[in-house]
Amino acid sequence: MKKSHPESSLREAWILFMILGMVMINFPFIHIFDSDLSFIGIPRLVVYFMYGWPASIAVIWLFVRRLEKESRSEADMEHHNSTGNTDQ
Amino acid sequence: MTVISAETIIAISLCYFALIFFVAFYADRRRKAGRSLLSSPHIYTLSIAVYCTSWTFYGSVGKAATTGIAYLPIYLGPTLIAFGWWFLLRKMVRVSREQNITSLADFLSSRYDRSAILGAIVTLFAVLGTTPYIALQLKAIAQTLEILFLPLKNIQEPASKLIPYLPGQLDSAFIVTLLLALFGIIFGARHLDSSERHEGLVVAVALESLVKLVAFLTVGIFVTYGMFNGFTDLFQQFYERFPERTDLFAVGTEAVPYTHWFTLITISMAAIMFLPRQFHIMVTENSNEDHIKKAMWRFPAYLFLINLFVLPIAMAGILLNDGDTSQADYFVLTLPLAANQPWLALLVFIGGLSAAAGMVMVSSVALATMILNHLVMPVILKLKLRAQDLSGLLINIKRLGIFGVILMGYFYFIVIGDSYTLVNIGLISFMAAAQFAPAMIGAIYWKRANKHAAIWSISLGFFIWVYTLLIPSFVRSGWITSTLLSEGPMGIGLLKPLELFGLSGFDMYTHALFWSLMFNLGTYCFLSILTRQSSAEKTRAIMFVDVFAPQEQSDEKLTRISKAPTIVEFVDLMSKFIGEKPAQNAISAFLADKEIDHRGSLNDQDIFSLKSFTEKTLAGHVGAGSARIILENYLNARGSEMEDIFDIFGSVTIDGAISREHLSVLYDISQLVSSSESFQSRLDRILELLAQQFKFDLCVIRFLEPKTRTLLVKSLVGETFNHFGKSERNLSTDTYIGQAFLSNVTTVVNDTNELEKPASSEIVREEGITSFAHMPIAIEGEPVGILSAFSRSGKGVFTTEFIALLENIAGQVGIAWRNEQQIGRLVLVREQEREMQIAKEIQMGLLPAALPPMKEIEVAGLCVPAHQVGGDYYDFIVRENKHCDVVIADVSGHSIGSALIMAETRTFIHSRIYDIDNPAAMLHALNGYFLKDLDRSDLFVTMFYLQYNPANRLITYSNAGHNLPFLWRHRQQQIETLDAEGLIFGIYKDVHFEQKTTCLEPGDILLLYTDGITEAEDNNQNMFGQARLQKLLSENHRSTPQELIDLILTQIRLFTGYRHFNDDVTLFVMKVLE
Repeated sequence: MKKSHPESSLREAWILFMILGMVMINFPFIHIFDSDLSFIGIPRLVVYFMYGWPASIAVIWLFVRRLEKESRSEADMEHHNSTGNTDQ
Repeated sequence: MTVISAETIIAISLCYFALIFFVAFYADRRRKAGRSLLSSPHIYTLSIAVYCTSWTFYGSVGKAATTGIAYLPIYLGPTLIAFGWWFLLRKMVRVSREQNITSLADFLSSRYDRSAILGAIVTLFAVLGTTPYIALQLKAIAQTLEILFLPLKNIQEPASKLIPYLPGQLDSAFIVTLLLALFGIIFGARHLDSSERHEGLVVAVALESLVKLVAFLTVGIFVTYGMFNGFTDLFQQFYERFPERTDLFAVGTEAVPYTHWFTLITISMAAIMFLPRQFHIMVTENSNEDHIKKAMWRFPAYLFLINLFVLPIAMAGILLNDGDTSQADYFVLTLPLAANQPWLALLVFIGGLSAAAGMVMVSSVALATMILNHLVMPVILKLKLRAQDLSGLLINIKRLGIFGVILMGYFYFIVIGDSYTLVNIGLISFMAAAQFAPAMIGAIYWKRANKHAAIWSISLGFFIWVYTLLIPSFVRSGWITSTLLSEGPMGIGLLKPLELFGLSGFDMYTHALFWSLMFNLGTYCFLSILTRQSSAEKTRAIMFVDVFAPQEQSDEKLTRISKAPTIVEFVDLMSKFIGEKPAQNAISAFLADKEIDHRGSLNDQDIFSLKSFTEKTLAGHVGAGSARIILENYLNARGSEMEDIFDIFGSVTIDGAISREHLSVLYDISQLVSSSESFQSRLDRILELLAQQFKFDLCVIRFLEPKTRTLLVKSLVGETFNHFGKSERNLSTDTYIGQAFLSNVTTVVNDTNELEKPASSEIVREEGITSFAHMPIAIEGEPVGILSAFSRSGKGVFTTEFIALLENIAGQVGIAWRNEQQIGRLVLVREQEREMQIAKEIQMGLLPAALPPMKEIEVAGLCVPAHQVGGDYYDFIVRENKHCDVVIADVSGHSIGSALIMAETRTFIHSRIYDIDNPAAMLHALNGYFLKDLDRSDLFVTMFYLQYNPANRLITYSNAGHNLPFLWRHRQQQIETLDAEGLIFGIYKDVHFEQKTTCLEPGDILLLYTDGITEAEDNNQNMFGQARLQKLLSENHRSTPQELIDLILTQIRLFTGYRHFNDDVTLFVMKVLE
């Protein structure tokens, strides 16, 4: 039998990441960071966003890469299936 | 200090505009050449960055300098929602592609039952929310121009006095307005089809996005690393000099409470998806769904980059201005000027100009499309303009719309100027976009969501938006008395716009977001659950929500259009709104895979899908709501109706009032209709079922006999005395049945004691009938017969529901009748075809199968009938004395009659050849023979008869009005025609046929042909002609006869462009060997 559609697991991942993202840029999470200068001489909250933001973009990038891989392998599988059928 | 002159600034700005124009033109050119620039996902990503307007470009720094890090959520929100683009945005794109959706308003209107009202409401709100935003862009351009002209001086002077060349009334903002409007019109409204992408516009916007990013990064790097020593240095200096302002780098402060932060994230998430311009760029202009994947991370990366230096520039501005933030909005521009870098400042100005221009152009195009389709179009349709071609008018209205929207922004800017409203309009605009969010998301994820819910939720949301945001901002600008805010309308404290229902303690945006979304979402959910969808709306909902699901056969198949318009009429209708050429293109795309029958029309199913296709195509130009109205009006005007066939459980004719037993009868009857029994037995069984199930005493089906105009009984079930049911019925309104037939309306008599027609009452009383009903059996609205039911026992049996059921049964009988007629016709055609095939085989057998090999001459012949059978004939007969007779003849027409004459001709020649030895005599004999036959049949025959004597190579020939054969003279290298006088057969009794002789020499070629060759037509109705034939002959005189024939045939086929020959083609070639 065919497994659950690959996109559905990605959809779950997306919803989880959205919720996680919503939490991580809102109260109370960002309350952790205050305006004091961090050890690199930049306020902690600014540091958080300066590094957290690109990190989240990297997550999307990984997500997209996964998406492309899934769609490729799915296409391969379909191709494989169809050749398999003709063999029979 | 170096100052760049005003002239240079204007010149460079104009050059920049020229560059954008050029790039956009180039993009359009590329597209026409089929190498679209939009195939690159980079363009798509960059064009989405139209999100970053001058509000971002200048305003971010201003906001950062005054309220600190609160500028960030506007960009964090889009990053967050970009996670889901592959699901959310792709679905919107797919739906829009399939439904030919042109704008945000169209999307909503299309989903919610193609509601014109919803489209108009959304358009109004979109215009209301966007116009001030356009004003903000114009203001940014005007103010930055002033700053550049008068660097670091008093900028209170109006701009109009700064540009020496302009007439007193005009200011620079107005010039910019005109330029942007021009651009919008050229690249946004060249064609009417909004679903066709505006490549030039998109590429121009992408370029502008690139320029604004580069400009901002350049000034950021210059300020951070040129004027200061990097981030750390800036923060250190700032913390030393303004320790009291470190709150700028924190959230949860008095200026930026967490709730405000949350609000900004939420509305920016909605804005990136549902601002009209974002929808336009991301959905309407999307050329490839895969681009979304790339944009998902590239666009957030763009946002990150353009925000990277906002804080450093803000801090630098505060530091260099000694803490003064009154001009913070233009720090980006004033810092390079202060550092004596006017060229850098100019680059910044160009960046800001790009940001503003991109937003204005896309917004105006998106809004103009909405205005045209959802505000103007319904009015035009109401007016029922009689114009043949509205497309020209529509495109001009769209252009006017673009111009109008931008001009409106300009006047807003002039009138409102520096007020509070303008500064905050960015957020107010975002909040407006958020009002579309519930209806938009519900549109693609919730099937139950319906039209009423969408209309009311959006209206209510906007009402709250106006009340809690727009009105307070007007109050602060001083146009409305401030007592409204402090005491509420008419002193009602609970209705204070900023503390609605007593909710206080929040900033105005959070307050407005809470209440507007609460009412919006609440109404949306409640009404969706409480109210019903029409079946049409259900279909729309499925199209949107299940757009990725495999397409199931929709109920389209079950519907047909009566009195359907023809293909041409559909094309005319489309032409009226979109212009002739696009309509033709659209229809040829549609017809590509459809079969067209011999009458040039489509079958019912295809006509229905053509109707859907026409509606969809029109929707691409005028919006879904208007397209629906256009088609409905059009079909109504023609009297066409959508009618159900076969689907007896469909929702149109059968409603819930009909009982289960009735349904089962209907079902049985539909089974009978489609069964394989004979027509008669099907009718009988339908009536038996009817009589048995409903206890009728008599059921009759009568069909019209067209010749006598009487209704003949076709089937009868039940008892009748006096042959009551069996009698014929004349068509007159004196009888109930005649009335039912003539008026095509069911006639019901529930109590025969109250009969109104004396002609009927007597028979009825004799038969003891107490109630009866006549249901017309109609095909495409035309009655063809009557289904009658009589009862002797019950009165009042024919209730409305019951009549509906009987009418449905009558409809089914009609379908059975039509199928029968069609099958009959089909059988007839098949039989004819078979006969023709036999005739063809016989006829081909009459032509010489293989020409006999000769010593001195070589011959070849060919006959290609245009239809199954033809009237052409050629023959080659070798006599006992070795003389050869060559005949070529052409009987007019291609019917069986022609073929018979041809066969007769052949028989005559073959039987008389031994006693008639010269051509003239043979023609004379044939003429006499044919005189009577041909006269009767309106046919005529032409013939050329030739005799070859191999002993002396002499040919003797006569002609009966046939095309003159060609003779290639090898020695002279030229062509002669063989002419001999003589009239076609069958005209006069005594015709003199001239007989001529000529001597052939080795290498000579004789070419006989029929007019099928010379009169073969190409697509432009040019004839092949004798000249071409002669040329072929003289150029190929070295070929063998067979080669020559093949060559001529190939050339004819090429010439006619593979069209069917319209006449039989016959060739005969004889060559004297060398």
